[in-house]
Amino acid sequence: MEKRIIQLTVNGEECDLVVAPNRTLLEVLRDDLSLTGAKEGCGEGTCGACTVLLDGQPVRSCLTLAVEVQGKAITTIEELAEGGELHPVQQAFVEHGAIQCGFCSPGMILVTKSLLDENPHPTEQEAREVISGNFCRCTGYAKIVTAILKAAEMVEGGHHE
Amino acid sequence: MSEHSVAGKRVVRIDSVAKATGDARYTADLTLPRMLHGKILRSTHAHARILHVDTSKAEQLPGVRAVITGQDAAGVKWGVFRYTRDQAMLALDKVRYIGEDVAAVAAVDEDTALEALGLIEVEYEVLPAVFDPIGAMKEGAPRIHDHAENNVNIFVPIEVGDVEQGFREAHYIREDRFSANEHGYYQAEPYAVLVNGDTAGNLEIWLPTASPHTKAKALANLLKMPLHKVKVRKVYSGGAFGGRSDIFPGEFIAALLCLKARRPVKIVYTREESLTCIRQVHSMVVDLKTGVKEDGTFIATEITSIMDGGAYSSTGPIAASVPFLVWEETYRLPNVRFHGYRVYTNKPVRGMYPSHGRAFLGGLGIQLDMIAEELGIDPVEIRLRNALRTGDTQATGSQVFSCGLSEAIRQAAEKSGWKEKRGKLPYGKGIGMGCNGMMVGFPMGIRGGSSAYLKFNEDAGATLISGVADNGQGNDSMMVQIAAEVLGMRMDEINLVSADSEITTLDQGAYSQAAAFVSGNAVRAAAMDAREQLLIVASEMLETDVATLELGDHRVYEVDAPDRNVPLHKVIRYALLRDKPIMGRGSYMPQVDQKREWVSNPRGQQAGTFSFGAFVVEVEVDVETGQVRLTRVTGAHDCGFAINPMAVEGQFDGNVGRAGVGASLLEEHVWDGGQMLNANMLEHKLPLAVDMPPVIQRIIVESMDPEGPFGAKEAGLAGAMNLFQAVGNAIYDAVGVWLHELPFTPERVLEALEREGE
Repeated sequence: MEKRIIQLTVNGEECDLVVAPNRTLLEVLRDDLSLTGAKEGCGEGTCGACTVLLDGQPVRSCLTLAVEVQGKAITTIEELAEGGELHPVQQAFVEHGAIQCGFCSPGMILVTKSLLDENPHPTEQEAREVISGNFCRCTGYAKIVTAILKAAEMVEGGHHE
Repeated sequence: MSEHSVAGKRVVRIDSVAKATGDARYTADLTLPRMLHGKILRSTHAHARILHVDTSKAEQLPGVRAVITGQDAAGVKWGVFRYTRDQAMLALDKVRYIGEDVAAVAAVDEDTALEALGLIEVEYEVLPAVFDPIGAMKEGAPRIHDHAENNVNIFVPIEVGDVEQGFREAHYIREDRFSANEHGYYQAEPYAVLVNGDTAGNLEIWLPTASPHTKAKALANLLKMPLHKVKVRKVYSGGAFGGRSDIFPGEFIAALLCLKARRPVKIVYTREESLTCIRQVHSMVVDLKTGVKEDGTFIATEITSIMDGGAYSSTGPIAASVPFLVWEETYRLPNVRFHGYRVYTNKPVRGMYPSHGRAFLGGLGIQLDMIAEELGIDPVEIRLRNALRTGDTQATGSQVFSCGLSEAIRQAAEKSGWKEKRGKLPYGKGIGMGCNGMMVGFPMGIRGGSSAYLKFNEDAGATLISGVADNGQGNDSMMVQIAAEVLGMRMDEINLVSADSEITTLDQGAYSQAAAFVSGNAVRAAAMDAREQLLIVASEMLETDVATLELGDHRVYEVDAPDRNVPLHKVIRYALLRDKPIMGRGSYMPQVDQKREWVSNPRGQQAGTFSFGAFVVEVEVDVETGQVRLTRVTGAHDCGFAINPMAVEGQFDGNVGRAGVGASLLEEHVWDGGQMLNANMLEHKLPLAVDMPPVIQRIIVESMDPEGPFGAKEAGLAGAMNLFQAVGNAIYDAVGVWLHELPFTPERVLEALEREGE
């Protein structure tokens, strides 16, 4: 398969990549750029572990071809803690016990960040709905929902940015 | 607990930041120089003889570095017990389920490996297959293993007291049949393994595992290598739930490929492989006959269970026994007959899961409510009358040293508003209770204990070394918390090295609910030993008696004159100069009857202690669609002592998801013969955030076990073994129908309502 040259802005850095057209964004992030924070949980867009932000919007990187996102800005979990300081969403997940095995956490955290960017005061039901495309086997989601609501308070309180 | 400074506190787990930032690496995230990618060719038949395997074309494909078949594996077989070694790590002569490992390839990339699989030619002679355990036990059914008459893999007979006499004396007797289909583990992380070798003959293995030491020993046996050359390394693990403790072909195959290609090999399973080719949750049919006295107390119990074990033994003897043991660990059972069959079929292999036995224990807990209804006794009251208490001896002989079951029942009832709700909610809404006891560890011979050591650095920081494994439940953090408590230190002053089979000493693993009780006790002992050494050295420095000294706040001080003290780092340096470096060592072996055996001798002390729980569930049943929703869960769990209450709560919540919503309402596999039709995350319905009850009220009961570290027992199975009872009973309270088949899907609810209406 003929490879193509694409440019992506990944976590603020411009990258020139040579990729086969059937390569997914997830494969390129993990294999070519060593950004392994996004996980492959199902490979068919069901579990949400591969979630990254594409121009600020959550996408399933396992269903996104790398060539589709030419010129776009990608944010992965590795970039969220700025200058070593945890983002309020990360801080809330850590403090409120929302992380157990941690495999789903990068996806959960990025989905939450994009929610709070658009809706700084989510209701509990909105919090449940926004993560309903992300599968977690450990937590029963209860502490994740708590963390989302606490993160909203922290952002509101000017804890960050 | 006020007397503790760290234990019992809601602390942030030591692994949380790494997991929130993407720093935590799981097996599939790892890469080594010159690493190859492995893929496995799997059986397309449920039951067939392998006549011929031709790998020549695959071997010639550019980029392929190794191809192996059953010939390379030399027929080595695995089974947890000596008498259950029935699974070839690569099939040699026969395949027994769709998905069984037949051959494997290591190549420079995954695409090449997959292409090579397509070039391997396998000639099969298809054999008749059988897919249900009752059919498999009948005369004339296809024989799956030569050694197994009527395909019975395991038969556990237990007889206690005089069952016939008990039934004769019974005031009321009920007989019911319950059943449940298979379901999946669905750990978030699909299975993966990475193996690296070196010229000195060492093998390093990274994989998600609940028991690195067990893996290392089994692989050393299978590969005929000395144990010290087989090193299972620490790596983050994305969930276990009982499905990461056995030995699987994947790790053996990756090791063989690595040895043959002389390069590191990584195999990452697809989600479908993870669901089909490792372990599934048993399906089962159980016949329950229970006799009670007039006051509702048990007088005779007869249970026959038939579990579909799939093609191989796995943890068969344990799986066949555990649901029964859980029942005897909950209630006083004077006369009992248990016949537990685990049967071979041509389906994937089944293992242990936190809700193992949902039909079995769900059935017993629902039947208990049926009995209560017949006798006009409140379901809470009948449980209290039968509940085990501290000092009791269970049916097969285990003593109960600490028991908070009655308190859990009372608190769950009170805080859920049981009295105001049971039988009084409007049609469509209901409330129900379930209870269980649970073994904390079980006899595992030399592998049933744990040991740990702790060293101090010259700056007064410490490194703790424990074999404990952490699959996400927080065991690593718990070990540091225990050591910090004993040493009067902050958790961030202690670094943990764990789960590396080369560096750490033997530990049973995060299996059998033993991490807090066994590994935690070993860590506590190691920290106590280090503490004792510090105090002895400090007593020399302060020229005083050891008994007058206390450790805390980075110094050793006299209790009655805290001004007389010496900083910790000075004690450590003083000790080093005098050739007495501070090195704590500790170990713990639970007091179990080591002669107890699952099949041949199921009698004697089963576990060092037992945990207990009672959960109340409220449901809403939509009588138009049959859909059941959990609206509120009130759970009380006697974990002995909550070392980190926030982590304990996380276990409550997780089990509400897995057992209360998943195993009770949603999860089951659908089959066409031996072919699984929903081996994915879309059609095998899994609990999502929107499916969860909005209110989970968690009640931690602390019975302060005399033997557990600070009184702790286990918290991992809070609700896991009783929520399906509660849900079934709540559905009856809501709409007046008893359901006998799990999960309680809309179809089954509607069917029961229609039957009731006729």
